[in-house]
Amino acid sequence: MRTDPDLAADAARGSEAAFAELVRRHQGRVRGMSRRLTAASGDADDIAQATFLTAWQKIGTYAGGTFAAWISTICYREFLQVRRRQRPEIEFDETAEIIPFDRTMADTGDKMDLSRALDKLPEAQRICVTLCVAASLSHREAAEATGWPLGTIKSHVTRGVAALRKHLAADQVA
Amino acid sequence: MRDEDTYADLTALFTAEDREQEAKPFVDQVMGRIRAQALMRKLLLAVSGLGGALLAASQLPKLLADSVGLDASLTTSILQAQEDVSALASANPLWLGIAAIVGLSLAAVATMERT
Repeated sequence: MRTDPDLAADAARGSEAAFAELVRRHQGRVRGMSRRLTAASGDADDIAQATFLTAWQKIGTYAGGTFAAWISTICYREFLQVRRRQRPEIEFDETAEIIPFDRTMADTGDKMDLSRALDKLPEAQRICVTLCVAASLSHREAAEATGWPLGTIKSHVTRGVAALRKHLAADQVA
Repeated sequence: MRDEDTYADLTALFTAEDREQEAKPFVDQVMGRIRAQALMRKLLLAVSGLGGALLAASQLPKLLADSVGLDASLTTSILQAQEDVSALASANPLWLGIAAIVGLSLAAVATMERT
């Protein structure tokens, strides 16, 4: 299987097929990240699409390293742009998630628990947990993506993970 | 123990959730938009090129008349037509504004889009 950097190099030379493969590989991560950052799936896919369109335009600037971290950084910046435009309108919307009928109740329950628990976190913790825990960026990569100090990232992740576990445990008890 | 190891179970939960979301229509949508943008860019470049070619062609009769001695009546009629067009545009500045906006838009798109 071809590596992400190989595909990125081909995409930089204009190969749409190579870029389509990158989109296929990373769409889950980027769409999930968008949804978690916005806490409203209405904007999430727009942000995810904008992320890949920007990535296509800037693929020549990808200088190796983890492609996941590179695309996650773009996704975070797209989220910031949308948030700057819509900040007053962002609020938690319980009806935003459309649940397909073919999922089992257990799957749906886990997913809702996870989403609900994440949405309960303060924004900075939610961002850090989304980047480091959900998108698997290292703390250093998350610090580069957000521009926040490394210590701040570590602190938000530690507190966010603890709070997330607490909320998940509370949901399971209830 | 690495910090990341303390939440590997949560990462696995998120990854499973992400995997459920993977869908071909999303890839098709993204690639469709990329192709549409590329098409639009080519179209705009073609329009820009055509505009430039027309502009160059409009100067050709005078150039040819000076250098190779193009028939004077032909040169005169072309120059007259050019003057009529510019007089028409001057009479209604809206056309000049529209031309400027179109030109600037073409330049902006051609500059911003990747090759």
